[in-house]
Parts: sequence; C-alpha cells; structure tokens
Amino acid sequence: MILKDYKPNKLFDELIDESGKVRPYYKTIVDRLSALSQEELKTKIRSLELLFLKQGITFTVYGDEKGTERVFPFDPFPRVIPAPEWETIEAGLVQRITALNLFLYDVYHEQRIIKEGIIPKEVVYSAAHFRPEFMGVSVPKDAYIHVCGTDLIRDTDGRYLVLEDNGRCPSGVSYVLENRTAMKRVFPNLFGGGVRSVDTYPADLLATLRHIAPRENPNPNIVLLTPGVHNSAYFEHSFLARQMSIEIVEGRDLIALDGFVYMRTTRGLRQVDVIYRRIDDDFLDPHVFRKDSCLGVPGLVDAVRRGNVALANAIGTGVADDKVTYAYVPEMIRYYLCQEPILDQVPTYLAWRPSDKKYILDHLPQLVVKAANESGGYGMLIGPASTKEQIEEFRQRIVANPRNYIAQPVVNFSQHPTLVNEGIEGRHVDLRPFVLWGDTVKVLPGGLTRVALQRGSLVVNSSQGGGSKDTWVFAT
Amino acid sequence: MMLSRVADHQYWMSRQIERAENLARLVRISEEMLLDDETLGRGSAQEYWTPVLQATAMEEPFKSLYRQPKQGDAARFITSDLRNADSIISCIRQARENARSVRDKISEEMWTEINALNMFVTSPEGIDLLEVAPQAFYEKIISSSMLFDGITEATLTRDEGWNFLQLGRLLERADMTSRFLDIWSQSTSQDAAEESLKWGAVLRACGAHAGYRKAYGGEITIEKVVDLLLFSNEFPRSVRHCLRRADEVLHDISGTPTGGYSNQCEKLTGALLARLSFSGPSEVLAKGLHQYIDELQRYLNSASQAVFESFVLLPSEVGRHFTRHNRQDSMSDWQREQQQQQQQ
Repeated sequence: MILKDYKPNKLFDELIDESGKVRPYYKTIVDRLSALSQEELKTKIRSLELLFLKQGITFTVYGDEKGTERVFPFDPFPRVIPAPEWETIEAGLVQRITALNLFLYDVYHEQRIIKEGIIPKEVVYSAAHFRPEFMGVSVPKDAYIHVCGTDLIRDTDGRYLVLEDNGRCPSGVSYVLENRTAMKRVFPNLFGGGVRSVDTYPADLLATLRHIAPRENPNPNIVLLTPGVHNSAYFEHSFLARQMSIEIVEGRDLIALDGFVYMRTTRGLRQVDVIYRRIDDDFLDPHVFRKDSCLGVPGLVDAVRRGNVALANAIGTGVADDKVTYAYVPEMIRYYLCQEPILDQVPTYLAWRPSDKKYILDHLPQLVVKAANESGGYGMLIGPASTKEQIEEFRQRIVANPRNYIAQPVVNFSQHPTLVNEGIEGRHVDLRPFVLWGDTVKVLPGGLTRVALQRGSLVVNSSQGGGSKDTWVFAT
Repeated sequence: MMLSRVADHQYWMSRQIERAENLARLVRISEEMLLDDETLGRGSAQEYWTPVLQATAMEEPFKSLYRQPKQGDAARFITSDLRNADSIISCIRQARENARSVRDKISEEMWTEINALNMFVTSPEGIDLLEVAPQAFYEKIISSSMLFDGITEATLTRDEGWNFLQLGRLLERADMTSRFLDIWSQSTSQDAAEESLKWGAVLRACGAHAGYRKAYGGEITIEKVVDLLLFSNEFPRSVRHCLRRADEVLHDISGTPTGGYSNQCEKLTGALLARLSFSGPSEVLAKGLHQYIDELQRYLNSASQAVFESFVLLPSEVGRHFTRHNRQDSMSDWQREQQQQQQQ
C-alpha cells in the first residue's frame, strides 16, 4: 500500500480526515496509485520529467549564472477540490475581483472610499504602485484587473484564506494547462471521470482581451508584450500567445506614432489595438515611467490615454495588490458591495500604524514579515524559522521604513501527500486560481497548486524550490 | 506579413544550425585526415589547423585565447569552446535561443528537435561522446541538422516565415561552401597526390563525392572541384545553386518577378548570381582562388546585411544602426536584469 507510511500531522491534511480516513473524493486516486508498483511509478515519473524537459517547459532561475533554465518540478499526486468547496472559492473570488475593480475605478476617479474614511489616504498615496498620473483617465469598460491570480492557503481547520491578490501580471497559468496535459498523457488511469477541464482558458483570455478593444473594434489586433526570453515566465508568454494565436512581441517590436501603437513587420507598420502586457508599469514607457527601461515603448502611455490602445491589466492596478491595501479588502467588499466577504483572509498588522508596529517589533520571532511591494517570496522574514541576525536585520528595516512592511501570524498551510525520494510524504501547498474579468467573470476551475518540496518549508515559489501539482475540481 | 524581429530570428536560427552542421562536417573530415601521415607532410598538427581557422574567420580569437596551443585545442575551439561565439556548440545554443523566441511560429517537432540537440551537446553524455568518439558526436550534429531541415520541410506552412528560414540556410550554406574551398586556396602544391587528398577532403566535407563522380569521374583536380562547388547549377551545396534558390526565395517574399529587383538584397543576390552564371573555374584560377572567394564573401556579407536593412529596419533607420550580428548574447547585463525583474 502506497500510503502505509504516510502520516498526517497537526496541520490540515488534504488527504486524511480527522478520524484518520482517506477523504472520499481521493479514494479513486489512492486506489489506482496503489495499484502501481514502485518500479512503474518511477518509470512514469521519469517520463514526466523528460516530457517537460523535451518541450522546454522551463523557467529561469535568477542569480544562477550556469543552469539558467530549469524544469518546474512537478508532483504527479493530484490535488482534489470537491465541488461544494470549489463553489465557495469561486463565489469568493468573483466577489473579491469585483470589489478590487470598483476600488481601482474609485481610487483613480472620485476617491469616495477615501473621502468617507474607509481607507486612509496615506495608504493609497504611499503605495509604490499607485499611479497618480492616471487620475481621471478612463479605461475601457472601467475594468482595471482583467487577469487576477489570487493566492489561497488553508489554515489548521481547513478554512481557505486569501494570502494575497496578484493583480498586476500574475503568472503560472501555463503550468496549470501543461500539468494537465502531462497528467493525461502519463497517468490517464488516475482520472476516474468528473474532472473539470482547464482547456478553455486561452479562449476565455482571448475573449477577455477582445472585450476591451478600443471603439468596440470587432477585429482587434491583439498582442502579448513580453520582457523577453530572459524572463522566468517567458515560456508562459510564448505558450499563451501560441494558444491564442496572437503575436508575442517585445518592446522593440512596437513603435508609438502620433498616439497610436504599431508593430514592425516585414511589410511595414501594422496598428495594434490591445496589449496583454507581461511587463510591470514601471517599464512600459520610458517617457512616463522609468527612463532607463529598455523593455517598453516610448509613447505607449500617451496612446493608452488617448484610448487608441488598451492594456490588460490596466496601469496602476498595483495599488490594489499592495500588502497594506490588502488589509482593507474586507472593508472594500462591505463598502462597495454591501456584502460580507465570502473568503477570509490572514490577520494583518501594518507597521505604519504605531500600535501595530509595537506589536510587530515585540513579536518578530512569531510573525511572518513581508515587504509591501515584493513578490516571488523575496523580501520576506519567517520569524520562527529565522536566526537572531535575520530578525535584527528586519527590525532595522521596519523601523527605517514602516510603510513598507506588514506582519502576519504564521499560518501553517495545509499539507498534501507528495512523492519524494523516500516515498510519499506531506508537503505544504497553496493554491493560485486564475480569474478573468471580461464580459463575464470566469474562474479557471482549480488553478495552480504550488508545493514546497523541502520538508517543513512554507515557501512554494518556483524561484525558491517550489514545485507544482495538477489541481482537480470535480464537477459534482 | 510577419513581425520583423521574428523574420530576423528565423533567418538566424537556420543560419546557425547550418553553420553548426558545416563546422561539424569540417572538423570531422579534419580529424580523419589528421590520422594519415601524409596529411601533415613535415608539418605539425597546428600547421594543419591554421588554414582551417583562417578560412572560418576564427584565427584571431583562437590566437588570443590559446597563446601556445596544444594538440586538440583547435578542434576544441571550433567545437565546444563557448568563448568562441561561432563554435559548434555556441551556434547550437544561439539557434535554440532564436527558436525559443519564435516558438509560436515553428512547428512543435522543429522546436523539440532543436531543443533536444541543444540539450544533447551540453549534457554529460554529449561531452562524453565528444571525448571518446568524436566522429559519432559530429555525426549526431550533422544528422540532427538535416533532420531539422526535413522536419521543417514536412511540417511548416510555406509562408513568409518559411522563406526566411530558407534564406538563412541557403546564404549560410553558400558562405560555408566557399570557406571550405578557401582552406587550401593559398597552398597549392605540385604534388598531385597531396592535391587530390586535400580537394577530396573538401568534397567529402560538402558531401559532394558522389556528385563529383557523377559529373566528372576520374582524378580529383582543383578545376573540377571549383567547377562543382562554385558553379554547378545542380549540386545542392554549390554556391551558385544556393544563390539561385536564395534569389527565388527573396522574390517570393517581395512578390517581384525574378530578373528584376525591388530591394537591395535582391539586387545583390541577382548580381552575384549573374556573375556566377557567366563565369567558370578558369577565370577563377586565373584571378586567384583566394581573391575570388574573398570578393564572393564580401558580397554575401552585404547580402546578409541587406536582409536586415530591407526587412527588419524601418527605411528611416537604415544607416543609423550598427550591423546585425549573429550573436544573441551581446545583450548587456542591465538589459537582461530588466527582463528578469518582471514577475508576480
């Protein structure tokens, strides 16, 4: 029996319930995995690795001079989300992106939420990604976040908590699609039927992009703007462009002339209508943002302002996924939607509030401290797992720049059975579902389950030793 | 119509694969020749490699990196030295990087093949094979390049992208064939046996032995080799054949009827083709083979630059930009860092 040595611990276990039994929706998978011999399993895993490597499904590890490209480690034990659980998550995510888009529209127009004292002005104005240059500029359909990747974790009771909203350029969706393809190819017999498909994502994304075409152009020229082949998500950019049959362009392929954007082709210039950009605001246009950007297009922002080209996501969404703003999202939901948040989130202490700051500094060894504007697991302190020196370093950073730090209690992620060399062991997982805001709001069933492959580790980021799993949402 | 950058990547991708294949052909033949005592005469192995490095424009960088070259250094420099931007492995890496940039434009099978070749040459097995059985290593590169060509032929839509792939391969092939001819162009000997050995090696490097037998038969002479490799209309690696096809491809891209021209690149290939069509080996040898090839290569370089200027740059940019190189890694560190910063 494949699970004979598998032990749940004090955390929430995705596979085993409180009474020590396998949860019913995992039964087929466990039975069929158990039917495989060690040897068969090893062969299958090897062929999975080879599949990824041969197709070049890789990401780039920064600061690593030599092996620049790596396969994103993939764990074949799928994560299952039963239908009722998923319904709640889906409703919660739709509620959240709705509130975030209303918030962004408000912040860049009347700022009612500030005037009415729900969110302090300082929070908005001190967010690194707030773009006052875009005050009063209207964007197509008043939509700011078109693609959102919200990170969820589960606490010890199995409650899903929102960890952060990624509303700028969230990545990872290509792995959701590729993981599924790989699972179908190598482990077809694990699928017992009833797993919801993820294949429509590219078509849904394309519809989302078409939805914001300037002047309702029914045949817009849509392109994906990538930073280039050295970006860790380049595989994803290329994958999505291919799936949507749109051009993948770099900044140097585009040129802005008289308020319009064009791409350079072998037959001259061709106008561009919608840009799915995978570049941060800062780098979009050296005339407006960072002057040293070599990735952007001079004059692009002017074309956006004039409404001649649409961007997804819009400029300035970073103010909504700022980690300080995050603390106010439940308030936003109540304010704009008059609803109670469906999904809970992690209690958050804000270092810029004097009382919170004192609490943070007094409890550093028990807290997780995050820089407000960092992502990818960088700029983070996990108190219980840190040395005295690391804690002292963060203390100084927080004192020097309180606006830039938040702290949260350590939330232990749920654990999920994961294949490791020694057999099957529990590893921490999170979940990044993807939400598309177009004509309708669509949530991709499942999302990317990231797994911390180091025993006991809570860091699931691909750049820091994380892997991923296929995520199955059952239809009923 | 296609993105100019994509056309550029496709053009260089196929050029680099073709270059890797031709260099593999060259080193494979050289290693074989060096096993024969006659090859060297009284010279050293290093003396053998000097004209090879000269003909492939690698002599300067080789000398600056290897002050006192040892046995095997030259072959290693041409094959696997990553400091040499034109080494076989460098070419494969660059070709694979170019392919990665246009992955959505080429077939899955094309990508898989070039990706697998790149993985192979940098893998422990690949490096091992190069040590213990170099012939098999070169064989693998040659066949992978030809497989890539075949896959392209069988899976890629005949559109503009196809034309740019063909153009890259054909111009590189013409260039490399002329370089093979250049290796011993300045050291003709009176010894018929030695001559036959050298020119036979050039033929084999071009895979032209059978073609030669068919066309001429008998002993191998410089006149006939030059006739076949420069002027043959039928042999697929001859300079004239490659240029004729490149000229067709260019006219296919522009839509201009052959015989005329609508851009600088068509003008150059057309003029060169006319020259080759109305000339022959006696004229070449009278002028001096090396001089002739030198001129030919200048023409080919201008043609390649013209591809860049005609299809990649906007008319207003021509003359303001530096020459297009085949090096992908000329990007500066800060540019690379900026590309890397964007992630969530």
